[in-house]
Amino acid sequence: MPLTREAGWYKNAIIYQVHVRTFSDSNGDGVGDFQGLAQRLDYVRELGVNAIWLMPFFPSPLRDDGYDISDYKSVHPSYGTLEDFKTFLSIAHDNDIRVIIEMVANHTSDQHPWFLESRSSRDNPKRDWYVWSDTDTRYRGARIIFLDTEMSNWAWDPVSKSYYWHRFFSHQPDLNYDNPAVQEEIWNVMKFWLDLGVDGFRLDAVPYLIEREGTSCENLQETHEVVRGLRRKVDEHYPHTILLAEANQWPADLRPYFGDGDEFHMAFHFPLMPRMFMGLRLEDRKPITEILQQTPEIPPSCQWCLFLRNHDELTLEMVTDMERDYMYDFYARDTTMRLNLGIRRRLAPLLDNDRRRIELMNGILMSLPGTPIIYYGDEIGMGDNIYLGDRNGVRTPMQWSGGWNGGFSNADPESLYSPLILNPVYGYPAVNVLSQKRTEHSLLSWMQHTIRIRRSTPVFGSGSIQFLYPANHRVLAYVRQWNEETVLVVNNLSNSAQAVELDLRPYKGNILIEMFGRNIFPRIGDLPYLLTMGPYQFYWFRLRRI
Amino acid sequence: MREIIISELTQAWQDLVRGFAHYLPRLIVMLIIALVGWLVAYLLKVVVRGILRLTKFSKLSENAGATQLLNQAALPSSTELLSRLVFWVAWVGFILLGVSVLGIVGLQEYISRFFLFLPRLFAALIILFFGSLAAGFFSRAALLAAVNANFRSSRLLSISIRIIISIFALSMVFEVLGLAEQTMLIAFAIVFGAVMLGLAIAFGVGGKDLAREFLERKLPKDKKDEKEDELSPL
Amino acid sequence: MILTDDFLRQLINVGEVDILVGLPTHNHADSIKPVLGGVQAGILKCFPRERVVIINADAGSQDGTPELVTGASIDDVWTASKVYALRTLHAISTQYARTPEPGTALRTILAAGDLLRAKACVLVSPDSTTIEPDWLQHLVAPIYRDGFDLVSPIYRRQKFEGVLMRNLLYPMTRAIYGYGIREPYAPEFAISGRLATDFLGKEVWNDEWGRIGAEFYLTITAITGKYRICQSFLGTKTQPGQSASDVVAAMRRTVGALFSSLDIHFPVWSTVVGSQPVPTFGAQSEVMPESTHINRKRLREMFATGVSQLDPVFRSILSASTLSELQRIATLELGEFSYPAEVWARTVFEFASSFHKSVISRDHIVQALVPLYRGRTLSFLLENRDGGGDDIEKSVESVCGEFEALKPYLLEIWADQK
Repeated sequence: MPLTREAGWYKNAIIYQVHVRTFSDSNGDGVGDFQGLAQRLDYVRELGVNAIWLMPFFPSPLRDDGYDISDYKSVHPSYGTLEDFKTFLSIAHDNDIRVIIEMVANHTSDQHPWFLESRSSRDNPKRDWYVWSDTDTRYRGARIIFLDTEMSNWAWDPVSKSYYWHRFFSHQPDLNYDNPAVQEEIWNVMKFWLDLGVDGFRLDAVPYLIEREGTSCENLQETHEVVRGLRRKVDEHYPHTILLAEANQWPADLRPYFGDGDEFHMAFHFPLMPRMFMGLRLEDRKPITEILQQTPEIPPSCQWCLFLRNHDELTLEMVTDMERDYMYDFYARDTTMRLNLGIRRRLAPLLDNDRRRIELMNGILMSLPGTPIIYYGDEIGMGDNIYLGDRNGVRTPMQWSGGWNGGFSNADPESLYSPLILNPVYGYPAVNVLSQKRTEHSLLSWMQHTIRIRRSTPVFGSGSIQFLYPANHRVLAYVRQWNEETVLVVNNLSNSAQAVELDLRPYKGNILIEMFGRNIFPRIGDLPYLLTMGPYQFYWFRLRRI
Repeated sequence: MREIIISELTQAWQDLVRGFAHYLPRLIVMLIIALVGWLVAYLLKVVVRGILRLTKFSKLSENAGATQLLNQAALPSSTELLSRLVFWVAWVGFILLGVSVLGIVGLQEYISRFFLFLPRLFAALIILFFGSLAAGFFSRAALLAAVNANFRSSRLLSISIRIIISIFALSMVFEVLGLAEQTMLIAFAIVFGAVMLGLAIAFGVGGKDLAREFLERKLPKDKKDEKEDELSPL
Repeated sequence: MILTDDFLRQLINVGEVDILVGLPTHNHADSIKPVLGGVQAGILKCFPRERVVIINADAGSQDGTPELVTGASIDDVWTASKVYALRTLHAISTQYARTPEPGTALRTILAAGDLLRAKACVLVSPDSTTIEPDWLQHLVAPIYRDGFDLVSPIYRRQKFEGVLMRNLLYPMTRAIYGYGIREPYAPEFAISGRLATDFLGKEVWNDEWGRIGAEFYLTITAITGKYRICQSFLGTKTQPGQSASDVVAAMRRTVGALFSSLDIHFPVWSTVVGSQPVPTFGAQSEVMPESTHINRKRLREMFATGVSQLDPVFRSILSASTLSELQRIATLELGEFSYPAEVWARTVFEFASSFHKSVISRDHIVQALVPLYRGRTLSFLLENRDGGGDDIEKSVESVCGEFEALKPYLLEIWADQK
């Protein structure tokens, strides 16, 4: 049954990103499914998150891990049935977990019936459901996104003897949003899932919905009109359902996607993420504070989504060439790790499996203004396999135990949809949920504890942020405020102990209560507040005036 | 009359011989004491020199800067100077002891007054020593500064400073010795009033650089000559 | 205490760095902006990833120089600056004294570098308005890339610039210590953290000549400590405003320090024979045509006056034969004036020996050399007035040859107790 939603629930949410296929296999076919996922919802609840974002589970030739959809209103047979999905949804809601699903609105698979019809003839009623051209010279201003595999945004269709437009893989033709019928049908798809009770949609590849000659074909005004139309309908018929934008753009270009609170509820803050990694490596807060200074104000009802890693490569599109080279040199020296202007590694390997750095990055993620998203497996420090093609190296089976197939499936290991991680450092015998549950000081236990603290106050999700700029550039410090509540966050980005003096005079008279241990720190006076911090240490202090 | 003269002469001669015979042993004793004293003093000098060399006294004196001073004053090394001083002090002491043996009352008083005078003499010698050093140092400093600033009368300036400092030192010496104090003081005060001394002392001690700049500002210079200054040495 | 509490606090905020750029200043508001611009551009262009700090050791400027330096910081406090930097760049300042003391400024900078564990320390002159961004690369890269400990600069100079350097400091350092470092005393140079730490611990700071000529002592320390030394071509050298008094001050800082170093390092240099070239990156030398007018008559006059007026001083310093030779040269008219390199080398060595024996005040010995240097300058000018860059080079090389050939003479008079 649908979960009762209050306005702005997403602001204090913590989202767990998971792919059905990777999580848990209930029927022994080597592929995760909805029944398996439903069985693991206890774990998700215990982790402390209150929302799940499901990656595409629709019928698909799976040439882009499900982002090439061939039927919007069903479930891929490998993952179960529609009934299985409904059961999963119900259990999720019973556990106070909301469910956000993908809405790949920009394109379909070339196996989708719509495209098969569209290409069959120039006179087909669905011809205009896609973007066709007799030449491949239109829209020259549009960049190629999948640089490693695609040479052009146009692909030749031998069936209809013309070119079709695709911003991603050539087997993913773009829908034509200038056609009202397309917009109508997409809304019908959304309605279908909303009627089942889903709590929101992540709209994939939103910037590219509309094309116009002489432009970059990204972020056009007409695209926003499409989105506004969808939002109006969602608000009218399914209030408090969220729309989350996936738009890999500069903050200033992302701002329009919030509109005046009448477009997306949330959007991923893509440019921040690589800068967090950069700041950590540089031991300098400058990349982080600068991008946040450039981030415009958004409507009060809207929210940024923050993340460290996800199913895609760690994108380096929204950085300068110098920054990209730096990231490559320090995080992806082996060129096998690089893909499409990004790095296809998981969180733990990126941070050299350094527990302190993993904790620090998660601490920053949870304390900056926005809704944090945790990619499945990162809460136990899973590794990756860069020798699997495309981005599959970060989409390996979840590691539940040190036993058969890591507890993911009872199938023959060779039949799994993807090989498990096997090396002694990250392999499932070393890194798994069962072992970490038994240890009070495991990464999993720490994540649970931290999420609990994060959720204990709305200040992190809903509060304002005021950066402090201590002279020690290795320390990132800011104050979060919500109503009467004030929290001071101090992060040491450096590998070595640091001393930092903070100007806390506006908060004079408050005592600091460290939120993890709940111990008292000295009262704030007129003098700079001196803190000494261990390597990669962070503090969350609640300020109290007593 | 002749007999009286002869008798008086004979008496006087006898008195002289008696007196001579009375003092001769003492004289001989005095000479012996002086000779022994010379031997003892020489031995002491050798011993002191040996000890100073063993304890590397010359290194200590070099570190204290005394060696430089002595070199500049064309004096022997500190080891040699000290050992010679010991020699002279010892020998003079023995000589004076020998003189005291003569038993001449007035002489003894003079000797004790001489000993009382010695500290003043030492002080005067020191003042003279440092005064001459200072005169040499500052006059040379002024000479060098003036030559390097292309001052035309640099020699004159240097000599003037030497004279003034020497007079100053001499007047202090006379004052310490208690000789014609008032005369010297007044004479000096007249000279002291001269501005040159104040500048010389200031130049030499505290404001070497300032003084140099002052000289260069005040001295007439041909503007064209300054073009030479465009050549940078480094 | 070399470092004040306030400066220490600033250093804590900076933390460990890879490169330290030191800027000693005193009322340099007029020239500091282009220098800072060049340094900043050099950092951003050549070392964007390195942790760099600019440290200003100021001697009580009254014209706002320290504020200009600290304004070169690049940090995350949002400004309208168009400069893009990957990292924070700290530019901090400390007042080390009330009047300029080059040795103390250097010591302050090196102490900061030692605390911050800088891999390379670069000193830049606040007068170098001709600095280019690549200068930092030329100075630091040999330390970073090739493991050198001291990078000495080579400049593009005007024909008759740096006569003291070319006729005394370079030839004598080469002859005495066996290393052909063209600019053993330079306003810009770079040293490794290793050498900086070692030099900081030396007794030089307790010695008057060490404090005055600390930069020169640094070069000598690198040589005698068997550190790896190289030279790197930078560009055109800026000359600050000059006055005659600067010759005396320059002599003290360089010649005084050089002479003083001979005492300390006698066991080292007394056994050195000949000289070896120093690895050089870029041109060995570059000479620009002379554009300034030099008053040769005045130079001759100052030399002749010096020889005659300082006769009593020279008698304490020079041998009779050298003195009489100088007196002969002083009688020569401008057209036939010549102060041969051999006589000049002999003069300098006799001065060095007298300095060692402290025949008179050492400072006076250094000052007394000034008029003779002017004579040598005149001779150098006249010998090379029509020559080009290559001719100047040959001339300097010949001076070096004379110094090297006369080294045994120095050893002889050095030991002579007369």
